[in-house]
Amino acid sequence: MNFAATLGLGLPIGIGLAAIGSGIGIGFLGQGAMNAMGRQPEVLPKIQVAMIIGFGFAEALTIYAFVTMFFLQGKIQ
Amino acid sequence: MALAIVGLLAPSHPYAALSVAAGQILAAVNFFFLEKFVKLFTHAALTPVPGEAASARASSLGIGALKIALVYGGAFALTRWNRLELGPVLLGFSLPLAALVLKAAMLAIMRGVSPAGARPGATGREARPILPAIVAGVLLFGMGGMGGTAGAAMAQTPAAHGGTPAHVEAAAEHGGGEQHLPNWLTILDDWFPKNPVVHWMHENEFLVFAWLAALVFFAIIFLAMRRDTTVPGWVQNGIEWMVESMEGVVGGMLGKYTDRYFPFIMAIFFYVLTMNLIGIIPGFKSSTSTLDVTLALALITFLYVQFTGIRNLGILGYLDHMAGSPRDVVGFLMLPVMVPVHVLGELAKPVSLSCRLFGNIFGEDTLIVVFVGATALCLKASLVALAVPPMLGISALFMLLQALTSIVQALIFSLLATVYLYMMLPHEEHAHGDETRAHA
Repeated sequence: MNFAATLGLGLPIGIGLAAIGSGIGIGFLGQGAMNAMGRQPEVLPKIQVAMIIGFGFAEALTIYAFVTMFFLQGKIQ
Repeated sequence: MALAIVGLLAPSHPYAALSVAAGQILAAVNFFFLEKFVKLFTHAALTPVPGEAASARASSLGIGALKIALVYGGAFALTRWNRLELGPVLLGFSLPLAALVLKAAMLAIMRGVSPAGARPGATGREARPILPAIVAGVLLFGMGGMGGTAGAAMAQTPAAHGGTPAHVEAAAEHGGGEQHLPNWLTILDDWFPKNPVVHWMHENEFLVFAWLAALVFFAIIFLAMRRDTTVPGWVQNGIEWMVESMEGVVGGMLGKYTDRYFPFIMAIFFYVLTMNLIGIIPGFKSSTSTLDVTLALALITFLYVQFTGIRNLGILGYLDHMAGSPRDVVGFLMLPVMVPVHVLGELAKPVSLSCRLFGNIFGEDTLIVVFVGATALCLKASLVALAVPPMLGISALFMLLQALTSIVQALIFSLLATVYLYMMLPHEEHAHGDETRAHA
């Protein structure tokens, strides 16, 4: 198995794994935020802002994988 | 310090030293004009006499034109002059820049916010939140200059060396690798293949679009501020709504520091937002879809946060903060572990900020490119009726998604800057800090 083949196999799998992690994280975040919003609708804007920031952190992990993929993509030849 | 660098370089690399000096002179000129701008605008916003304010605005336009001509013309001339190496120019440009951006920000905010808040009657409450936004708009020019210059240098260095990243562009031209939609600079380059100006613009297209974004935002703010009335038009109303709602969110986190740091956060928000949204217009490109621009923005934020920490906590307090504030034996025992962890955490901030913004915007762009490419393929295979309507529909859907992402990413970038600032600022006691965090 040469370098290009390893990359070609590894990059999609890596992105998929990262996406699974981010998905789980965002799912937990959304669950918590929805619960909180349901309990206390009066602080809804504050919860939303905190939720969006949390989404940003969780989503960033997949984005790192994505960026790595783009940096290495050119080497699959 | 900067002069020392020039002196050190001078014997071995005369041109590099010259470049550093040239970059510094450029930065100095830039900030001379920037300061003029800040003074003029705060003055214009504060004067009650309409005629005087109008003349101040007119002269600010003149100065603005002069600044653009001198600074960017100078930068352009420097890039055309082949003997200069761009890396050192960038170094010279950014050395005083970091300090000066912060100083200008402080100056502007001190002058802008405090008298406006105390100003009685006249236009009243509505005018106050807009004022920081103007100052923000002024600062944008400096940031645009820096982001753009950094990008230009990074884009030209690999091209000059013929190094590894160049193969990506070559691959794009052969239909493989990264794909880009053509924009109007590509078209211009096709029309005037020999024109060096057009070619330079095409090579550094995101730099041009970053300037464009700054100009567009500046125009919008100018439009909104032209008649500063109590019953606002829709432009002024929209801008005020955005500024006020952001002020609510940021104020919930920063508390009493809001007035000092809000303009910086707002400047970042609007600049990133404009750069993101400009990519939706067909024929334009988001500057934030290159790592260079986002990295420059993130570095500015990083330096500003560190500077804020040192300024507010003092050198000793800053070191204490980096050591995790040890107060007992366990804390001091943990010192060798905590210091690297904190330093690494600080260094990870600009990386994550820039990569997040770049990845999101770049990803959205790529999605649209793929679907537009698919539409083009269907057209080529004369499957118009079969494939084009659904393809166009999907493209339009993704453009809506891109608009959403643009706004959310601009929000996240500025809110994370706020969070980083909040973590650096001193809190009175721990209970209070926890309470604020719970509310934020």
